[in-house]
Amino acid sequence: MRLQSSFNSLQARLLVLVLGVAAIVWLAAAALIWRDVRHELDELLDGHLAQAAALLVVQQAAHHEDDKMADAPSLHKYAPRVIFQVFHEGQLVQRSAQAGATPMSETGRGFSTVRLADGSEWRVFATQGAERDVQVYVGEQTDSRSAILRAVLRSVLLPLLVALPLLALAGWWAVLRGLLPLRHLSEALAQRRPEALEPVVLQDVPAEMQPLVQALNGLFGRMERLLESERRFTADAAHELRTPIAAIRAQAQVALGAGADEAQRQHALQATLAGCDRATHLVEQLLTLARLEAAPAGANDGVDLGGLARRVLAELAPGALLRHQQLELDVAASCRVTGNDMLLGVLLRNLVDNALRYSPDGASVQVSVALEAGQAVLRVEDSGAGMTAQEMARLGERFYRVPGHAQPGSGLGWSIVRRIAQVCGAQVQTASSERLGGLAVSVHWPAPDQRAA
Amino acid sequence: MRILLAEDDPMLGDGLRAGLRQLGFQVDWVRDGEAAERELASEVYAAGVLDLGLPRKDGMDVLQALRARRITTPVLVLTARDAVPDRIRGLDLGADDYVVKPVDLHELGARLRSLVRRAHGQMQDSLRCGGVLLAPAARQVSLNGEAVALSTREFDLLHTLMRNAGRVLSREQLEEQLYSWGHEVESNAIEVHIHHLRRKLQPDLIQTVRGVGYTVLRTPETA
Repeated sequence: MRLQSSFNSLQARLLVLVLGVAAIVWLAAAALIWRDVRHELDELLDGHLAQAAALLVVQQAAHHEDDKMADAPSLHKYAPRVIFQVFHEGQLVQRSAQAGATPMSETGRGFSTVRLADGSEWRVFATQGAERDVQVYVGEQTDSRSAILRAVLRSVLLPLLVALPLLALAGWWAVLRGLLPLRHLSEALAQRRPEALEPVVLQDVPAEMQPLVQALNGLFGRMERLLESERRFTADAAHELRTPIAAIRAQAQVALGAGADEAQRQHALQATLAGCDRATHLVEQLLTLARLEAAPAGANDGVDLGGLARRVLAELAPGALLRHQQLELDVAASCRVTGNDMLLGVLLRNLVDNALRYSPDGASVQVSVALEAGQAVLRVEDSGAGMTAQEMARLGERFYRVPGHAQPGSGLGWSIVRRIAQVCGAQVQTASSERLGGLAVSVHWPAPDQRAA
Repeated sequence: MRILLAEDDPMLGDGLRAGLRQLGFQVDWVRDGEAAERELASEVYAAGVLDLGLPRKDGMDVLQALRARRITTPVLVLTARDAVPDRIRGLDLGADDYVVKPVDLHELGARLRSLVRRAHGQMQDSLRCGGVLLAPAARQVSLNGEAVALSTREFDLLHTLMRNAGRVLSREQLEEQLYSWGHEVESNAIEVHIHHLRRKLQPDLIQTVRGVGYTVLRTPETA
C-alpha cells in the first residue's frame, strides 16, 4: 500500500491524526446524546400521550349520555401534529380535527406505531374506560419527535463543523511549534558543508531528539576517524612509496645500462625484485595500520596465546633457518587472553619478524608465553644488537627506523604492534634482554582469563 | 665528474651509485647527514646529491650548514618530500635543484651536468678550447671536427681541466676530482694521462705550471 506523499510529512500526519481523533470523539459524543435524548423524549412524550388519553377517558365517562359526535377545534398551530379519537361502544364520539373515522390503531391498549392512509407515521396510545365501553386513541406524529431530535443533534454537531477548521488551524500551529527543534536540526544539517564532520550542536534539544542527535554525532565521529585514517594512508603511501619506487627505478635502469657487465645486471635485477617485495610489504603494513586505526578499540573473543605463538613461529621458522637463526618457543602456561585471533597473529608476527630481521645471522630469538603474578605475558627476546634508551623511546613513531640497519623495513611494524595492543587491551614494554643480550619486548594483559589446558 | 651521493636507503643508494657510474660520474656514497656535510665541505666534489630524511642530521640542516660556511658546491636535493613548502624551503636554503623521487637516472645525470656547468658560468653543455670540443653528456671529444677516442680517465681529466679553464689545478686537486673512494691512485697517473692527452689532441692544449699544477688556457669564444 502506498502512502500519499503528504503523509510522509510528520506535520500533515500529526494534523490528520489530531483532527481525525477529535472528529471521532465528537461524533461518538453526538451518537450518545442522540440515544439519550431520544430515550428521554420518548418517555416524556409517551407520558403526555398517556395522560391525554386518561383525560379523554375521564371526560367521556362524565359526558357519555351526550353521545353525538363532536370534533374538537384546532387551537394551536401544533394541534395537527396531535390527534385523538374517542369511541363509545364502537361509535366515534369525539375526535380532533385531523383524525379519521376509523380507529387509528389495531391495538386496543398500550403504545403502537402506525402508518395512516396518507402515509404519515404516528405514535398511538390506546386505552379503554373502566367498563370497556370507551375506547380512546391519542396519536402523535413521529415526525415531530424526529424534528426535536434533529434540532438537538444540530445544536451538538453544528459547533463541530465550525470548530473543526479552527481546530485544524490551531493544530497546524501547535504541531509547527512542537516540531520546531526538528526543523532546526534539519536546517543545521542542510547548511553544513558536505565534508563537514564536526558534531551537530543544537540549543534545547528535546529529550525525544537527544538519541537521534547523539546517534548522528556518533556517526559523524566514526566517519571522521575513517576519513582521517584514509587521508593518512593516502599521504603516507604517497610519501613512503617514493623511496622504494625510486630504488626499483634506479636498479632497473642500471640493469638496462649494464651492457656487457653480466654480474652488474644480475645484481641490479635482484635488487629490483627485492625492491618490489619491499614496496609490497610497505603497502600491506600501511593497509593493516589504516584498518586498525579505523577499528574501534575494545577486546572481543578469547585467544589461546600458546597455540597462536606455535602457528606464527611455524610460519617464520623456515626464513630463520635459512639465516641459521635459532627460533625457540617456551609455553610455560596455557593463557587465554582477550583479543582477536587475526590481530594478535599480526602483532606476534611483527614482533618475531622484527627480532629475526634485525638480529644477525646465527642469532637466537626466544618467544615465551607465561603467567606472571596472574598476568598473561608474551615475551620476544633476541640476541641482536639491542637498542639505546633513545631509540626505544622513538619506537612506534610512524616510519621511524632505527638507523644503521641494512635490512629493509617499513618503519610501521611498531605502530601496528602498539595499535593492536591498544585494541586488545594489552600493554607493550621494551627492555634489554637479560638472557640473550639483545632487545626484549613483552606484552602484558592486565586481567587474563586463565584456564588450565 | 666526481659526485657525492648522500642517501640512507641501501637499495636506492646502491642503484643510484651504479647508475651514475654507468653515466660516467665518479660517485662516493655516504649514508648519514654528518658524513654528507663533512664530505661536501671538502669541496673536492663537482656536485652533491642530497636526500633530506637522513639519519644523524637532516638534509635541510646539512644544506643550511654548508651554505653558512660559504661552501658553494652545487647541491641537488633528491627527496620524497614533495610538498610545495618543502620545495621552497629547500631551494631557499641553498639547494641548486630540487627533485622528487622517483627520478630517471638519465635526467638526474643531465641535471647534475647542468648544475656543474652553471656553477662554472657556462651556458652550453659542450666545452671548446681552440680546436678541441668536449661534449660531456655524450662523453665525446673532437679535434677540428674529427672524433678522438679517449679513455674514461683521460676524458674526465680533460673535462675537469676544461671546466676550470683559466685556473691552475694541482695534481692533488685533479686526483680528488678524478678518483672516487676505493680506487688506488698511482703516483704518476696524472702525468701519464696528461701526456696521452697532449699526444692525442694538441701538444700545447694543457700547460704545465711548474711546481703548481696544470691548466687549460681560456680562449676567446669563436662563435
